[in-house]
Amino acid sequence: MGSNDLKYEVSQNAYIKLVLHSLKHPTSAVNGVLIGRISSSNDTVEITDAVPLFHSQIPLLPQLEISLILIEEYFSTKGLNIVGYFHANERSDDFELGGVAKNIGDHICRYFPQAAILLLDNKKLEALKKSKSSSAIMQGCI
Amino acid sequence: MVTKTEESELKNLEIQVDNGGGGAWEYLSLVRKLKVRRSDKVLKHGLSILNDSKLRSKLGADEWTLYEQVAVAAMDCQCLDVAQDCTKALRKRFSESKRVGRLKAMLLEAKGSWEKAEKAYSSLLEDNPLDQIIHKRRVAMAKAQGNISGAIEWLNKYLEIFMADHDAWRELAEIYSSLQMYKQAAFCYEEVILAQPTVPLYHLAYADVLYTLGGLENVQTAKKYYASTIDLTGGKNTRALFGICLCTSAIAQLAKGKNKEDKEGSQLQSLAAKALERDYKQRAPDKLPQLTTALKSLTLSS
Repeated sequence: MGSNDLKYEVSQNAYIKLVLHSLKHPTSAVNGVLIGRISSSNDTVEITDAVPLFHSQIPLLPQLEISLILIEEYFSTKGLNIVGYFHANERSDDFELGGVAKNIGDHICRYFPQAAILLLDNKKLEALKKSKSSSAIMQGCI
Repeated sequence: MVTKTEESELKNLEIQVDNGGGGAWEYLSLVRKLKVRRSDKVLKHGLSILNDSKLRSKLGADEWTLYEQVAVAAMDCQCLDVAQDCTKALRKRFSESKRVGRLKAMLLEAKGSWEKAEKAYSSLLEDNPLDQIIHKRRVAMAKAQGNISGAIEWLNKYLEIFMADHDAWRELAEIYSSLQMYKQAAFCYEEVILAQPTVPLYHLAYADVLYTLGGLENVQTAKKYYASTIDLTGGKNTRALFGICLCTSAIAQLAKGKNKEDKEGSQLQSLAAKALERDYKQRAPDKLPQLTTALKSLTLSS
């Protein structure tokens, strides 16, 4: 929770991957990690990629540990780190960050203090079909 | 839970029907038998049969089963008018039936009229207190409304009567896990494993929960269950292999102060690591370097 205002940029690649992942599993909660870096001027966090994680068995620890280790390994060779966490709830009107999501977010924050959490707004996702709004369908929380 | 052969048969039929190759009725019957959730495909192909009067008359008495299947699929896809039409047709034919009454209540549930649906289900249960499907619908309704504690209460009551329903135990375990009540989730998985000891998926899930609970004994038991999963799947389950590596390093960390020599444990870990490397070489050779560094970091930390 920094006192200076940090900007967050989400690349199209990352955004689309996350939305497609949630659409592929409409009946369960999904989550994923956001990959990126801090820009050189130290005021923007660029989220350049995303890795979808699970669509079942979300709250269980072993898979999370292994996936975080492997992801960290893979992306550190490219100079990127884990900068955030993405979550989409099971029910269409559940717009709260559940206990599990908060815990995972806190854990990521320990390694990257400016990490952000993106929560999918299911109602806006549904509205996308009918309208062509370009507003973000996710809510960011830090 | 579907086996791999059934899953591939289902997929083949799905592709065949999607590309206009016929066989829609076989596909729908297989979906019904396996109880999988393919509501959009069921709706599409079911409606194509029902709207064609020639195909419909060929079905004979099975026509009504198809109406029921399409009605439920339509409710899942939120096509409530289709669901209503199907239910009307069934009501005309079977006006006094409990199954149709259940469909009507499900329609109310799909529309979101929770209290009316609740009343309908309660009255159906009064006439028929042992109807499993209605009990489960009540649990599902509580879950859909966000009333998780209510869902847990109903599910526990249901399991007191129908203790052998392992799907219900599994659902309860998943609900407990999502609330991070891992001890209760472990208990549910134990029930499931007792009922079906040869299904590796449950061993795996139980081991996951035990590892998440933490503590030396739990992690040691988790290792045993990962090992049994590997045994049951012939060494092909990647998650279980990873689980063994994680468990061994966790045990070594936890047992540091207790001065225990666990030679057999490290042998198990190196075997698991070798199996993982072989698997990755076959299926994803470009990810192999990440795997080796990750495994090394796990053994280093132990």
